[in-house]
Amino acid sequence: MSSIRVSGRRLTAAAAGMTAITLALTACGGGGSDDEAGANEGGGEAITVGTTDKITSLDPAGSYDNGSFAVMNQVYPFLMNTPYGSPDVQPDIAESAEFTSPTEYTVKLKPGLKWANGHDLTSSDVKFTFDRQLAIADENGPSSLLYNLESTEAVDDTTVVFHLKSENDQVFPQILSSPAGPIVDEEVFAADALTPDQEIVDGEAFAGQYVITSYEVNSLITYEAYDGYQGVLGAAKTPEVNVRYFADSSNLKLEVQEGGVDVAFRSLSATDVEDLRGDDGVKVVEGPGGEIRYITFNFDTQPYGAAQPDADADKALAVRQAVAHLLDRDAIAEQVYKGTYTPLYSFVPAGLTGATEPLKEMYGDGQGAPDAAKAKEVLEAAGVTTPVELSLQYSNDHYGPSSGDEYALIKDQLEADGLFTVNLQTTEWVQYSKDRTSDVYPAYQLGWFPDYSDADNYLTPFFLKENFLGNHYDNAEVNDLILQQAVTADAAERAALIGQIQEAVAADLSTVPYLQGAQVAVVASDIEGAEDTLDASFKFRYGALSRG
Amino acid sequence: MRLLLIIPTVFILVTTVFVLMRATGDPITAALGGRLTPDQLAERIHEAGYDRPLVVQYWEYLTGIFRGDFGTTLSDNRPVTEILTQYGAATLELTVYAVVVALVVGIPLGMLAASFRDRWPDAVLRVLAILAYATPVFFAGLLLKLVFSVGLGWFPVAGRVSTSGEIEMAKADAGSGFMLVDAIATGDPEVVGDVLRHAALPAIALGLLTAGVFLRLVRTNMIGTLGTEYVDAARSRGVRESRLVRAHAWRPALIPIITVVGMQVAMLLVGAVLTETTFEWRGLGFQLSEYLQARDFVAVQGIVVLMAVVVAVTNFLVDVIAALVDPRVRY
Amino acid sequence: MAQLDSGLGPVGTAGAAPVHARGRGGWLRRLPVVHQLRQSVGLQRGPLVAGLVLTGLFVLVAVLAPVLAPYDHSQLRTPEGAFGAQQPPSAEHWLGTTVGGYDVLSRVIWGAQTALYVVVVAILASIVIGVVLGLVSGYFGGWLDRVLVVVADAIYAFPSLLLAILAAIVISGGQASMWGGIMATALSITVVFVPQYFRVVRSEVVRVKGEAFVDAARVLGSGHVRIMTRHVLRNSVRTLPLIVTLNASEAILTLAGLGFLGFGIEPTAAAEWGYDLQRSIADVTSGIWWTALFPGLAIVVVALGMTLVGESLNDLADPRLRTRTASADVAGDVAQTSVQASVETSVEAELKAAGPTAGPAGPEQKEDRA
Repeated sequence: MSSIRVSGRRLTAAAAGMTAITLALTACGGGGSDDEAGANEGGGEAITVGTTDKITSLDPAGSYDNGSFAVMNQVYPFLMNTPYGSPDVQPDIAESAEFTSPTEYTVKLKPGLKWANGHDLTSSDVKFTFDRQLAIADENGPSSLLYNLESTEAVDDTTVVFHLKSENDQVFPQILSSPAGPIVDEEVFAADALTPDQEIVDGEAFAGQYVITSYEVNSLITYEAYDGYQGVLGAAKTPEVNVRYFADSSNLKLEVQEGGVDVAFRSLSATDVEDLRGDDGVKVVEGPGGEIRYITFNFDTQPYGAAQPDADADKALAVRQAVAHLLDRDAIAEQVYKGTYTPLYSFVPAGLTGATEPLKEMYGDGQGAPDAAKAKEVLEAAGVTTPVELSLQYSNDHYGPSSGDEYALIKDQLEADGLFTVNLQTTEWVQYSKDRTSDVYPAYQLGWFPDYSDADNYLTPFFLKENFLGNHYDNAEVNDLILQQAVTADAAERAALIGQIQEAVAADLSTVPYLQGAQVAVVASDIEGAEDTLDASFKFRYGALSRG
Repeated sequence: MRLLLIIPTVFILVTTVFVLMRATGDPITAALGGRLTPDQLAERIHEAGYDRPLVVQYWEYLTGIFRGDFGTTLSDNRPVTEILTQYGAATLELTVYAVVVALVVGIPLGMLAASFRDRWPDAVLRVLAILAYATPVFFAGLLLKLVFSVGLGWFPVAGRVSTSGEIEMAKADAGSGFMLVDAIATGDPEVVGDVLRHAALPAIALGLLTAGVFLRLVRTNMIGTLGTEYVDAARSRGVRESRLVRAHAWRPALIPIITVVGMQVAMLLVGAVLTETTFEWRGLGFQLSEYLQARDFVAVQGIVVLMAVVVAVTNFLVDVIAALVDPRVRY
Repeated sequence: MAQLDSGLGPVGTAGAAPVHARGRGGWLRRLPVVHQLRQSVGLQRGPLVAGLVLTGLFVLVAVLAPVLAPYDHSQLRTPEGAFGAQQPPSAEHWLGTTVGGYDVLSRVIWGAQTALYVVVVAILASIVIGVVLGLVSGYFGGWLDRVLVVVADAIYAFPSLLLAILAAIVISGGQASMWGGIMATALSITVVFVPQYFRVVRSEVVRVKGEAFVDAARVLGSGHVRIMTRHVLRNSVRTLPLIVTLNASEAILTLAGLGFLGFGIEPTAAAEWGYDLQRSIADVTSGIWWTALFPGLAIVVVALGMTLVGESLNDLADPRLRTRTASADVAGDVAQTSVQASVETSVEAELKAAGPTAGPAGPEQKEDRA
């Protein structure tokens, strides 16, 4: 049961005697997972997933992070959820969900639902869930997502009415599939305090595709399929899944190479993924990711910004456009991230409903590559003297260790043709967070992880007059369009509005987006189904995986 | 008197860490600074009470400690005492392995160096000793990984146990936190072997650092005792030099080793932080750097206070032992 | 925890020429390191010379970095094109390129410059702060003295790297430029070193203060400041060169440790070996060896050089170790003369170790414990 193995390519380098030992060990290691499966009595099908995620809490009121939400997606039922392959929500354990009046969103549960512990899953649990989120409002929790929820009413056993503050909120169904949405068992969870993980596991308060049968925090979780789940995802394909939590990526990489884990999901380093692409024993599966990276411009303090002595809106715009013309997104994605990030040409990442790519046509050579001549042209046309001095800030400790390489390359790209002189700076994250909204940084790096898979989540927080960027961007037309799409019920009409917003912002360039994170799973050659769940819902369901 | 000094020592460290950590920012900004407006941030900070006067929060924290309540970590909502016991066990395990390596390597080589004093084996050994502690433990770790894991494939590259072993342990319901103990509890020799193979490289990387110190120390003290009257007396009786080393000089020279093992605790703790990071050994050091990033000052304070107490208590014990061994040393 | 003081108290014959006794000619021979070099013989000279050569090489590389390095430390391309990331060693890049697409050789060479700056700043700052505090504390005594001693002991007892990390987070708040980063890192290291200098100087002050010539000066009406600087200081700082040598290598290792844990200097501002090593962890599992090996070797070579110098000086100051015949005669005052601060705790270790075989603790030691 050894984990020791030398990859095929290096075997040739090893001495002959060593080879023999290694082969013996390999046989032993390879046999490991088979023995494993047999021992699990799971029909010989148990799949082991490895991850470097961290779990904050199994209680949906107490965590708002990828690692915890990844677990919740397997074990808790949702009213609304995304089917495989789609970012758009449908009723999950509900029969129907619709606006019955502008401020009333009515959900009808399927009849006869049960928790894994035998308790009835009724509208009372649903009301309990959302009342509890609002009552606890834990600082690590997602209760802020329920900003539009006035109250929850259980009309009868299967009918729930959400009373909303603002009318026709098209985002609300998405919120029900977000980290604020997992339904919990009122007989296991406390109404006014977080419930410890072990109590949840012991109480079997699960009703998703899986239940947790053994739980060691940030070390090992064993899941077993729950046959009472009747939602949109269908039954889990694999009856038993083990998930091992790794401290960091290099060990995870080796284990997936050696067959110790069947699936490695989140997060291998770019170098590891690159190396594994060349390994015949594993498959690298990719899907769109929700994470984006962008440069934010402060409209007051950027070169020629409104608060500068030489303020000139046209020149300021020209500077932003020149940056957009010069960025070589492919080079950043390939050199720094080895394809684990992909170029991004819009504010809404590819894969989400309504996403377009306005920046691709408007800037650079029109194909996505940079164009220094156009950058020069736009600066000259506005009468900007070159090189433009630009102070660019990035965080070296919040968006991963590669940020330094990322921004060194951006500096290099902007300076290559003599149009910019970039003063690259970095600051420790907490100070950075304070400085960026205090007009200290003319231009700076930020990243975004979505709360739910809707274009709105990439527009409303950013480009309304009051936004979290605090960069003094103010376009009344964009502001109105954003408010309008949020209440437009017709899907096609809403998508058109979202497209319009992207074009308008692309002309203004409040931010210049340039990278979108890809979801990368590395799976053993006999594992299937990973491609089905690496979709723009950004929810990785173990239920889709099977051993082929 | 020395025992009483532990209290101000720990108190000063608790205070220093509290002030330093709070000067570096709050955990809410650390977690959400990239997605909330300043107003929203301020509101959350206010709700969590981090905008109250520092003295008030400090007092709260101190009184908590006196009640044995180290608080709950801010970033993952777990009792600090649980963090300390769980990850402390991992660090302790690594440290024990490292001390074993250091003793096994350092003492015999130190004796060897002393008996070949001022000849070439001595010179070589001393340079090696200096090399051992001039090499950062993380570089030694990376080199070991390159050669023995990636190159030769003899040892795993990181972690404490392979996945299959971990699953067996979970089935055996072994959760002491000490991997070796848990592995033995499974009754499966393969799991035990697996755990030991995982421990080998980190233990060597950290152990060699200390081995260099031991080597020098043993050598110095051996030479010292070889020059004392009692050895001189033996020498004058015509006992050969090599026998002197074996039979007479080593015992007094070993006495200080006992105390030095204790003195090395502070250094091992620092070494453990770096070793754990290099080998993904999830112990206190590994967690500490994670919590530092998250500005989780409750967790950081808990870990740092534990380390401070460990160092202070060990230093005290070392003094006591020294006094017991040699009645001339009085405190 | 007070062994260091007593250890440096009465100094043996080695580095001990009191400052008063200055001759006209041959001052060169009395310079700390030169003096010991002349004094050393045979096998003991080897390590000292080797250490001096390595250290000299390091300083030379650091100073000549702009000339020696083929590229700039943050250069990613030549007019012919980008370097590319993780390229194996080649004619253009003798030591390959890093994960960030930098030239490894250039990063290693520029890293020497960064390391030199940090070491110099850290040690200068430690000496200034440590000496001032030590002087004031030792000279005036009283409650201030007691508080400072307890605080210094507490800090000294604490794992140094952890302290440096905490300090680095606080100090680095607004770091941006190369010098910002260097100062932040150096000052973080300073926090760790100050207690050592403080304790050494303070115990010397306490010792010297009681001697006749200080009393004489006081009787003659000299002010506190004058007495401190003219008489006490001169006699107190004579042991410092020894500790400086030993601390230099620790500074290098602490700098690398900070960089390795991500609390050091920014990569685009200056090259730093520890940071480059941290970025190479992921490379190692993919068999990319050149990004880890060379910055690591650089650290080892420099730390080794400085440690060799420090340890050799220390051995020369230790009569027990200096010559074979002398050892039997002077075992009694061994504890007083052996200093070994290269690995912080080994100072204590060695002195501690010498304790049982070497006789009772010195007077200062007891005083500190009171």
